[in-house]
Amino acid sequence: MKRKLSLIVTALAMAVTSHLGFASEPTAGGTMVMAIQNTPRHLNPAVQSGTATGVPGSQLFAAPLRYDEGWNPQPYLAESWSVSDDGLSVTLNLVKNATFHDGHPITSADIVFSIDTVKANHPFKTMFAPVETVDTPDEHTAILRLSQPHPALMLAMSSQLLPIIPKHVYGDGQDPKSHPQNSENVVGSGPFKLAEFKRDQHIILEKNENYFMEGLPYLDKLVMRIIKDPSARTIALESGEVMLSIFEETPRDLARMKKSDGLNVSSDGYSAIGSVVWLAFNTQNGKTADKQVRQAISYAIDRNFIINALMLGTAAEAKTGIHPGSPFYDETANGYDIDLDKANLILDDAGYARDSDGMRFGLTIDYGWAEIKQFAEYMKPQLKKIGIDVTVRASADFPSWAKRISNHDFDMTMDNVFNWGDPVIGVHRTYSSENIKKGVIWSNTQQYANARVDELMQLAGSTYDVEERQKYYAEFQQILADELPLYTLFAAPYHTVSNKKVGNPPKSIWGGSSPMDKMYLSE
Amino acid sequence: MSEPVQTNNTESIEAIETISPWREMAGIFFRNYEAVFGLVLLVSIMVFTFIGPFVYTTDPFEMVWAPFTRPGQEGFLFGTDYLGRDILAEMIAGGQVSIAIGLAAAAISVVIGVCIGAFAGYYGGIVEEALMRSTEFFQVLPTLLFSMVIVALFGASLLTVTFAIGIVSWPAVARVTRTEFLRIRELEYVRAARSGSAKDGYLIFRVILPNALPPIIVQANLMVGSAILFEAALSFLNLSDPNVMSWGQVIGSNRTYILDAGFAVAIPGFAIFLTVLAISLIGDGLNDALNPRLRQR
Repeated sequence: MKRKLSLIVTALAMAVTSHLGFASEPTAGGTMVMAIQNTPRHLNPAVQSGTATGVPGSQLFAAPLRYDEGWNPQPYLAESWSVSDDGLSVTLNLVKNATFHDGHPITSADIVFSIDTVKANHPFKTMFAPVETVDTPDEHTAILRLSQPHPALMLAMSSQLLPIIPKHVYGDGQDPKSHPQNSENVVGSGPFKLAEFKRDQHIILEKNENYFMEGLPYLDKLVMRIIKDPSARTIALESGEVMLSIFEETPRDLARMKKSDGLNVSSDGYSAIGSVVWLAFNTQNGKTADKQVRQAISYAIDRNFIINALMLGTAAEAKTGIHPGSPFYDETANGYDIDLDKANLILDDAGYARDSDGMRFGLTIDYGWAEIKQFAEYMKPQLKKIGIDVTVRASADFPSWAKRISNHDFDMTMDNVFNWGDPVIGVHRTYSSENIKKGVIWSNTQQYANARVDELMQLAGSTYDVEERQKYYAEFQQILADELPLYTLFAAPYHTVSNKKVGNPPKSIWGGSSPMDKMYLSE
Repeated sequence: MSEPVQTNNTESIEAIETISPWREMAGIFFRNYEAVFGLVLLVSIMVFTFIGPFVYTTDPFEMVWAPFTRPGQEGFLFGTDYLGRDILAEMIAGGQVSIAIGLAAAAISVVIGVCIGAFAGYYGGIVEEALMRSTEFFQVLPTLLFSMVIVALFGASLLTVTFAIGIVSWPAVARVTRTEFLRIRELEYVRAARSGSAKDGYLIFRVILPNALPPIIVQANLMVGSAILFEAALSFLNLSDPNVMSWGQVIGSNRTYILDAGFAVAIPGFAIFLTVLAISLIGDGLNDALNPRLRQR
């Protein structure tokens, strides 16, 4: 009987797999509704950071390069590219048949214009800082001349960070940050054209019939519905009203959707976004200026409890400020696995005696938004175990938190910072002593300064040799694991949730911020 | 106190003449089963939260067991919350804070409301106009939003939350007080006192106010209940002091897990419900006892 049953199960399983195999032939056409979480300020990623703009922006604008699941650059607007031997010039050979949505051809002049615009307006200054000039020997060749070898350039040429925008539209003298065509009548270069952008409602994209990649995009229409509430998105996905949602990170909803038959829940991709949640210390003022205090606190935190109990196992372990999906992540760095005895010993040896209530001293902890409040609340009872009296400081809203932290008025804070592809773009800003800038959030607000760390970042940021860079970043992470300007809790669990009818949901290292021209609907 | 013989006695003329007004009020109050039930309930809750810590000494902030242990399991009467903190300990500590905030906020609103209402009602004219128009200004502001703004501006601490709740709920007290003052200031004994050249302060606080108290007491009592609800609403919106345990705080921090561990939200919710119910029942009883027109019911 049992045997018969297992035979039936096997047969069924085979039937299902073969059906899936059949369905994986891409079919063109159809309208797909997907969910996004926020209304972007506008749709032009050249002058606006963040994924809210990057997701629709990557559909509207093409970039010189695109990426697969394994950090390998793929041809996009550049059909081929080469780096000179001295590493000081990068040549892009553009595809010949590419046009903007208004029919104008995409030329090397637009590449120059786009790089200049990003360089002047985008908050990530390290992306194109070493680019001195861009030569254009002909309409389809652009040569980037660099002041030093600049490995981050390759990742910075993705559509999230370097969308190619038309010079004849955005070069009309108006401020690109507030250009009216950032939100309407967008003239893009990507697989989809803008049909309608209604704030807090939807962004409707239509197929670009003259897209330079043959036969793409598969979809006729891509509707991005703006649904802020995670539970509402979950219900819309379960009912089939919405076919795809990206950047999903609410543990409860993910756990629920994983059980849902019609949905695929995947954490593939997103490692270039590289979202990391950490506990940052003020390394210059107060008790946390003492390295031993920071180490003791790190030994007192139970990372497994946070990942398994609070994040329900949806998050991945991370020990350093570099995302574990990055090729430069160093697994051997000290992760400070929980050891309360050791933590107490460090504090005893450092001379922080307990008073009659068993407390050594008090510290404050901040948090900037509701989703990370629970980690701040966790620290209070947990650090009490080593005699630290933690006061949780609530901020009325995100700006008041950002003001406190960026003016260095804090002991500890919960934070969530993105790697943005190459460490040069998103990681160096947290540790560089040159980036201690009062009033700027997500600068080096820990005020950490170490000459060797600065030097290692300079070395790792100016060579293309991956192995050599790995060596520099390994030492970098070892030093930081000892000096601990911040203690990393986990890598944020971004997931792509798609209906089983969706083929090729975005799974590249840029996750939802990559072109969805190969996505299709079966049936 | 419910023997029919006694009830008959109070209705006889001699009995009424010999009983003091407060005793009479108490008599009416205690004959009201609902009010007595409310009082018993409130006293039990007070005993639970204020005597509780001496009997049940678990620290409400300490993580004692695995998160979301079900009520009754592993020796936890109410289970544990999302961090593995003992919900029973949280309920005890949270009750103190919720009730204290309720009382303090009600006291603030009564002090402000009575002063403004008394001056407006007593002086009349331009003073009344100015005071009552500003009262209306506060009354038309959406109360929850207004208190959120105050907490957002001054930061979420126990003091600011209490102050914010007090500051948004005084207009009702002011209006009740003013109405009473308008009525009482024209009564003979007030006129008599005034013609005896009594000072304004004496007239307001010693002559009129004691006689205007009954509706204010009822109002203040209900205000305690609404202040507790208010605090819960602010906590739910993450606008309360995270270092102080309150019932609203317990709801607020566990609410994202409501589908999986509803008890962590239901238990504090039920506690708030019981407390506010008790206070409302007492308020109703007081109203019946203090309002002469309803006494015949």
